[in-house]
Amino acid sequence: MGLAAPSDLMLDVSRWQFAFTIAFHMTFPAITVGLSVFLAATYAMFMRTHKPIYLQIFRFWKKIFAVGFALGVVAGTVITFEFGLNWGPFAAATGPILGPIIGMEVVTAFFLEAGFVGVMLYGDGRVKERTMLICCSLVALGTILSTTWILSANSWMQTPAGYRFEDGQFVPENWWQVIFNPSFAWRFPHMLLAVLIAAALLIAGVAAYYLVRGRAREFARRTFSVALGVLALLLPIQLFVGDNIALQYIVPHQLPKLEALEGNWDSTNTGYQLLVIPDQDGQQNLWELSVPWFGSAIGAKDLSGNTPVPGLAMTPPEDQPNMTASFYGFRAMFYGSMLIFIVAFGSVVLRLRRRLYRATWFHKLVMWLTPVGVIAIIGGWVTAEAGRQPWVVYGQMRTEDGVSQLSEGAVIGSFVGFLLIYLTLFAVWLWYVIRQVKRGPEDVSVDEIDPDPDPVRGSVAEPSTPVTP
Amino acid sequence: MIADIWFGLIAFSLMMYVVLDGYDLGIGIASLFERNRERRTEKVEIVATAWDGNESWIILMAVALWGGLPEAFGALLPAIYLPIIVMLFGIILRGAAIELSVSLRSDAWITVFGIGSLIVAIAQGFAIGGVLQGISHDDGVFNGGTWDFLSWYSVLTAVATVAVYVVAGAAFGQLKSEGESARAARRLGLSTLLVGIPIVAVTAIWSMDLLPQQLTGGRVVLFWALVVVAVIATAATIWGFRSGPDAAAMVGVVVAEISGMLALVVGMVPIVVPPDMTISEAAAPHSALTFLLVGIGLNVPLVLFYNWYAHHVFRGKYRPVEERPAGVTQAGWAMRAGGERASDEQEVRS
Repeated sequence: MGLAAPSDLMLDVSRWQFAFTIAFHMTFPAITVGLSVFLAATYAMFMRTHKPIYLQIFRFWKKIFAVGFALGVVAGTVITFEFGLNWGPFAAATGPILGPIIGMEVVTAFFLEAGFVGVMLYGDGRVKERTMLICCSLVALGTILSTTWILSANSWMQTPAGYRFEDGQFVPENWWQVIFNPSFAWRFPHMLLAVLIAAALLIAGVAAYYLVRGRAREFARRTFSVALGVLALLLPIQLFVGDNIALQYIVPHQLPKLEALEGNWDSTNTGYQLLVIPDQDGQQNLWELSVPWFGSAIGAKDLSGNTPVPGLAMTPPEDQPNMTASFYGFRAMFYGSMLIFIVAFGSVVLRLRRRLYRATWFHKLVMWLTPVGVIAIIGGWVTAEAGRQPWVVYGQMRTEDGVSQLSEGAVIGSFVGFLLIYLTLFAVWLWYVIRQVKRGPEDVSVDEIDPDPDPVRGSVAEPSTPVTP
Repeated sequence: MIADIWFGLIAFSLMMYVVLDGYDLGIGIASLFERNRERRTEKVEIVATAWDGNESWIILMAVALWGGLPEAFGALLPAIYLPIIVMLFGIILRGAAIELSVSLRSDAWITVFGIGSLIVAIAQGFAIGGVLQGISHDDGVFNGGTWDFLSWYSVLTAVATVAVYVVAGAAFGQLKSEGESARAARRLGLSTLLVGIPIVAVTAIWSMDLLPQQLTGGRVVLFWALVVVAVIATAATIWGFRSGPDAAAMVGVVVAEISGMLALVVGMVPIVVPPDMTISEAAAPHSALTFLLVGIGLNVPLVLFYNWYAHHVFRGKYRPVEERPAGVTQAGWAMRAGGERASDEQEVRS
């Protein structure tokens, strides 16, 4: 680039800022993608049956969705700009590839959500039921399309394909290979399942709270049952997909990531690391807690227990990812998924024994595990992104070569600003969700629902014309 | 050639953004001057149904610049780091504040909505000024200082941007409300124009001096024609606020905004990053531009439809909250269906 190398401090702060802002952003789609699907399905059930319970469920979750969705949108705007702000050289080099992919996300997903979410949130009593259902479905479709494009762009950074490198720029040669790059096929279903599972766990957790308290019984039972049913269905698929991520993409494409997330330095350990305190400079663990045999069985797929897990020392130190981040990111996801598995498995057993609504211990367990899905997703992202280091485009462009020449003061100032605003808003959001849950779902009166609904119900001062798009 | 078409789409996105988000930022700023609680609530609810779609245009603009002219994106944003970061802070605060104030019926969050809107407008003004006065770069990599954007010129563009947005907000407010609210909007629009016209005029004259292209030949004709249109549109806006029909001021503002921005484009092309980076220098390779033009270009009509639809469903005048059925949201209940005048469609079509 012909300029002095950026200072380490500036690079570190830019990385911390990006990691922090994307983790904050991630928290909301992790919930709202699944919620939008749930809301569309609930509204469809309401239209079919005209039972007040579905409208009650719809309105309750819509309020929680609304604020989470808004926070996800504005925090996502930040990310789009940060590519250019803090990572100008990266943006200039990858623009021809990533720009069009994110651009497709904006036009096919972002505008779709934005155009119809207003009707979904505020159109109740103003548009026909059919229109409402279409709007809800389009918002759900938008969130899923958004996930698809983002995973394509991020997967390209993990396993770049379909390009040639020319004059310091990645030039697309085959768009098919760019979009459907090698890791996309596994990482996309993995992420989609993850957000659906996280939302299902949230819905189940809130229902569990009402079951424990003996409040809003019908609401609680119905949502508890549906959410746990979805969980029991999706979790086995997710475990299968997750395992294939390791086998089909990490092992052949990014072995150092696997080495880092398994927590070994030398390649002699056949045990499974439960906890480690790594010393990256000394290339060793200061302390570790290992279960014999499991490392060989799970990590290396050798049930005889003789195959050791590959260690990070196989990779030259300058090409190693940070072990602490990769290891604990992965453990947060893995241990989280084990907890969710207990919930899913327990729900099936209890359902078969017809004790799903009576097992108070289980309700308490589910209630306390409400945020685990989101935590597991953030852990998974830390593994994916920290494990990709020191590369920003894997094997092609180093993170330190992608950072903008900014003053340290400017980047520290912006990072502090994000910390203050985001931590405050996160606290407000938690308070808001807890407040809504404690208030409980509002009752829906039967006379509010008539089989052939007028666009505006109740006492209207003057007759209004129906709104048909 | 294909890069020029793409530049046209970027400019179009910017115009759509200024026209659409301009009015809802303006309404936000106007809410800061409003004491009456019902009218403050009315302002945030008018914005609540459409802000997301309006704001999406700035994301499209950013990403279209990134994909189509990556060198320009990589050079520009670091040069205006602080204004853009502060703009993002404002966008975050106001987005959160809109949904929270509607959901919680909280007056404090309406204040956050107003302050956030003001922050966004000021920051965008500084960003525009910072770019127009030219940035220092070494072969596409920004090499200037953090505070380079700050100058008397960019202070002026910041004030001018706030003024334009407030006028647009007042015009939209007049369109969507009646009674005292509409009268207040007319008064606000006129008094802002009184201060705003001299400021915008001075900014425009100063900008002509900074524009990278000499205004000669065909450029000079086109430029002055657009200026004349902008002046006539401003006169129409004044008439609209004083005595015209409810939609007149909005139409005037939109035409003035668009012709003003087109005049800027006339003074710049083919330069995209003043003082010297051209479209072809910044352009992405052909394979990327073709994909962009097909994939994104073909989606633009759909995107316009989504925007139109979001405004169409909530067309007509805002109605003060009466007794509403349980569960029907305040905003949904408050907006009356089927206004006689084609009210909110002009700004999307123009």
